[in-house]
Amino acid sequence: MPQRPPPPRPDRRAAAGVLAAGLLLGPAWPAARAAAVSFGLAELTTLLARRTSGEARFTESRSVRLLDQTLVSNGRLSYRAPDTFVRETLKPWPERLAVTGNVLTLTRGERSRTMQLDASPEAAVIVEAIRGTLSGNRASLERLFEATVSGDAGHWTLDLVPRDLRLRGQVASVRVSGSGSAVAQVQVQLADGDRSVMTIEPAGSAPR
Amino acid sequence: MTPAATANRPGRRTATVVVLWLAALAAAFVVVVRVRYVADLSAFLPSAPTPEQAVLLDQLKSGASTRLVLLGIEGGTAGERADASRALAASMRSLGSFDTVDNGDRAAFASAGRVVYANRYLLSPAIDAAHFSEAGLRQAIGETLSLLGTPAGALVKPILFEDPTGETIRLVDSLTPAQAPRSEGGVWVSRTAPRAVLVASTRADGSDLDGQQRALEALRAAFARVAPAHLHLEVSGPGTFGVAARERIKSEVERLAIAGTVLMVAFLLVAFGSLRALGIALLPVVTGVVAGIAAVSLGFGQVHGMTLGFGTTLIGEAVDYAIYYLIQARPDDGDEASGSPGAERWLAASWPTVRLGLFTSLIGFAALVFSGFPGLAQLGVFSIAGLAAAAATTRFVLPRLAPRGAPGRGLRRWLALTMRRSTAALAHARPAFAAIAVLAAGSLVVLPSPWRGSLAALSPIGADALRLDATLRADVGAPDAGTLIAVSAADEAGALQGAEAVGTRLDRLVGAGVLAGYDSPARFLPSTATQAARRAALPDAPILRTRLAAATADGPLHADRLEPFVAAVEAARTAPLLTRAALRGTSLAGPLDALLLAGHGGKPWRALINVQAAAGAAIDPARLRAATADVAGAHVVAIKPELDALYAGYLRDASWQAALGGAAVLALLAWRLRNARRVVRVALPVAAAATIVIAVLAASGAALGILHLVGILLTVAIGSNYALFFDHLHEHGAADDDTLASLLLANLTTVTAFGLLATSSIPVLQAIGIVVAPGALLGLVLSAALIGTPDRPGEHGRIDIRR
Repeated sequence: MPQRPPPPRPDRRAAAGVLAAGLLLGPAWPAARAAAVSFGLAELTTLLARRTSGEARFTESRSVRLLDQTLVSNGRLSYRAPDTFVRETLKPWPERLAVTGNVLTLTRGERSRTMQLDASPEAAVIVEAIRGTLSGNRASLERLFEATVSGDAGHWTLDLVPRDLRLRGQVASVRVSGSGSAVAQVQVQLADGDRSVMTIEPAGSAPR
Repeated sequence: MTPAATANRPGRRTATVVVLWLAALAAAFVVVVRVRYVADLSAFLPSAPTPEQAVLLDQLKSGASTRLVLLGIEGGTAGERADASRALAASMRSLGSFDTVDNGDRAAFASAGRVVYANRYLLSPAIDAAHFSEAGLRQAIGETLSLLGTPAGALVKPILFEDPTGETIRLVDSLTPAQAPRSEGGVWVSRTAPRAVLVASTRADGSDLDGQQRALEALRAAFARVAPAHLHLEVSGPGTFGVAARERIKSEVERLAIAGTVLMVAFLLVAFGSLRALGIALLPVVTGVVAGIAAVSLGFGQVHGMTLGFGTTLIGEAVDYAIYYLIQARPDDGDEASGSPGAERWLAASWPTVRLGLFTSLIGFAALVFSGFPGLAQLGVFSIAGLAAAAATTRFVLPRLAPRGAPGRGLRRWLALTMRRSTAALAHARPAFAAIAVLAAGSLVVLPSPWRGSLAALSPIGADALRLDATLRADVGAPDAGTLIAVSAADEAGALQGAEAVGTRLDRLVGAGVLAGYDSPARFLPSTATQAARRAALPDAPILRTRLAAATADGPLHADRLEPFVAAVEAARTAPLLTRAALRGTSLAGPLDALLLAGHGGKPWRALINVQAAAGAAIDPARLRAATADVAGAHVVAIKPELDALYAGYLRDASWQAALGGAAVLALLAWRLRNARRVVRVALPVAAAATIVIAVLAASGAALGILHLVGILLTVAIGSNYALFFDHLHEHGAADDDTLASLLLANLTTVTAFGLLATSSIPVLQAIGIVVAPGALLGLVLSAALIGTPDRPGEHGRIDIRR
């Protein structure tokens, strides 16, 4: 998600401007460039933690071995510090997944269902991979995953492998990549060979 | 029986009386040895008047919630705890003592999945004609496909071609509670502490304490077998509480009985310094205890352990009769001169006073019989039968066995001296005592009402055990006092239809975010009408094929791969409807049995719907009542408020009964004394003693309940004995040493017996003891202070009510 509040202090109008600039500004950020020499998880999470909210559009394609075609969906993402993350699928079927803290609410049509996130570790893995990255929550990422960072602040890749072997039997790995404080892509590799790729773009047309 | 009659052929009469007494004792003893002892705390729950309370009490006594067992495994590493959790769950499932064992392991969940999968077209709430239209199929298949490529896809993939509309996952989802425990390493763990948690339900009912105890022992043995020694197991739940309470009551009763007996023997030795006197004094006590147990057994079919604990106070009271008789029946100078034993004079002079005291005590205990608590009724019957038997033994048997009273003086002279001096001193302090009593009465007006005890206060479960229970409940998301909706109906079909009607209304509240969800028996077993409607909505194979082809035309899943689905629907069209019998033995049977209660013996069938509040919100029973008002037979039961209301109602009733009991004591005094001034003189110290005890308890911040009220009533009944005694002294002259000593001894035994109860860790006994022990002591002190001794020395050396 590309929105990045301008340091030192977030300002709504300025945020909208930065949002429009999106990815392009990321690599040009001096702080990021300076840190490129030794860019690890600490540096990445510090960088990501500076952002406190954002909205974006996503397109996801999933390849499932059982099916003849790739499944494509799209929708909106939003994030607000410290721990609210919403993924709203618009096509092909409207569905809304909202997580705040440990509470996950899944809405489909008129039916809404609330669950405890930590009661369902395989769902928690996916949510924490994205939310933990967006919020720059290093502790949470390191608790759940073996995390490896490659690249630099301008273009980084975060590889996350679940520590729990049972979970690794379901979710083999999650790869998050981005530029600066913006996340550009989330790839999930399932243990059974299925995989999904979510590409994230700034919500350019209707930023809020 | 006149003195003249008893003097006739004393040998034959003595034999007759003793034989009759022994025969009665033997008969009672036969009953006693066959007694069934129980320690089920539900005896101290009131019987219920409203439908909501009936549901509630059923649940408290034998509902599914009483079979709940919460387990925590602590120590070691997370991996060791997870392994132990799996091993323990597997071992418990093979024991046969547990209906369900859940540790969060998905592998175990598969069995429920199989039943749901096999019956998905009867169980799924989504099934209707529109669901199988082209548009309905397109949407349902699309939603199922949206799960593929996510971790949830693992559940869908194996059955995708049989169940492309996702009925199984929909059902599994709806059966998963909203408040699930945290899952780590494949098993449930605490969110707040390093602890693996499990939830089980015993096969034995909550009220079957033997069954509960066996299950718990088997469980601990299983844990010792499968888990490494450095891990330890915490167990909680209603069954554990019941078993622990029974153990506690048992050990407490033994402690009280032993301590009570030892103390009484000590008092008797102090009083008489004679083993023979001791033996005779114990006869009324033994007779009373045996008669009490036999009466309860005959009246209730069982004897509660608590009744026996309370029985130690009977020892203290029954021994008083023996003390009065043995001391006061010693021949005085007049008896020696006439050659008649002291027994005759005692029967004529003192027995009427003792009898009047007995009657006031009986009235006090009679109030217990009508208290509405079966447990308290037992205490009442026990005490009435016991006191009556002890008094009768004293009246009819002791004069035969010990016509000259008891030999030996013991420390009586010293006791009498103490009593005489104290009485004189107390009489001088009369204004001070009057002031204290007035102050106490005034403080009761000013202080907030102490009558705010709750049912929970009756529970003998310690704070540590309650804390462990609360912790484990929070870990597994099992609410202890929630809200449930009960639907009563004449038969199973009616109950299930009612549950479905309630469910439809609750769905709206869930959709509006007011509720997180609810558990309904109709989820596991829909009514036959609903099942038949679902079955009728299934299209035949040719129609389904045509619609599938259209619905999947441009999608990633082609209709020709969905032939297993077409076959499954075709089979479901003619499959028999699901019945309770068909679910027996499956993993759905346990939850269904918990929520659908069969009617029997005039009780209706009942469907129970547990309601869960939305996160961070409380449940508003009024809103639920409004939402379900149009469902016949539906009652919303908010457990905590309902329990409180129930208890408040009984406290109100008990207050009336206590007032009536007090009035009855007054009426009896008025009838016997026939003098308003004397009635007031007797009533004042007793009322003052009760007032001071309540005031002190209120000022100390204690929450008083029904049992304290019972204690007050007993204080009045016992205290009036002392007041009567001093009233007689006042009317008829001073008492001799032995009489004063016997009064002090009798008071000491009573205060000691109830003082022992006050030290009990069982709240029911402690509450009575803490009121009666100081109340009885104050009763004596205030009687001495407020009534005092006559100004002029009397012409009689002993109390005497002959005019």
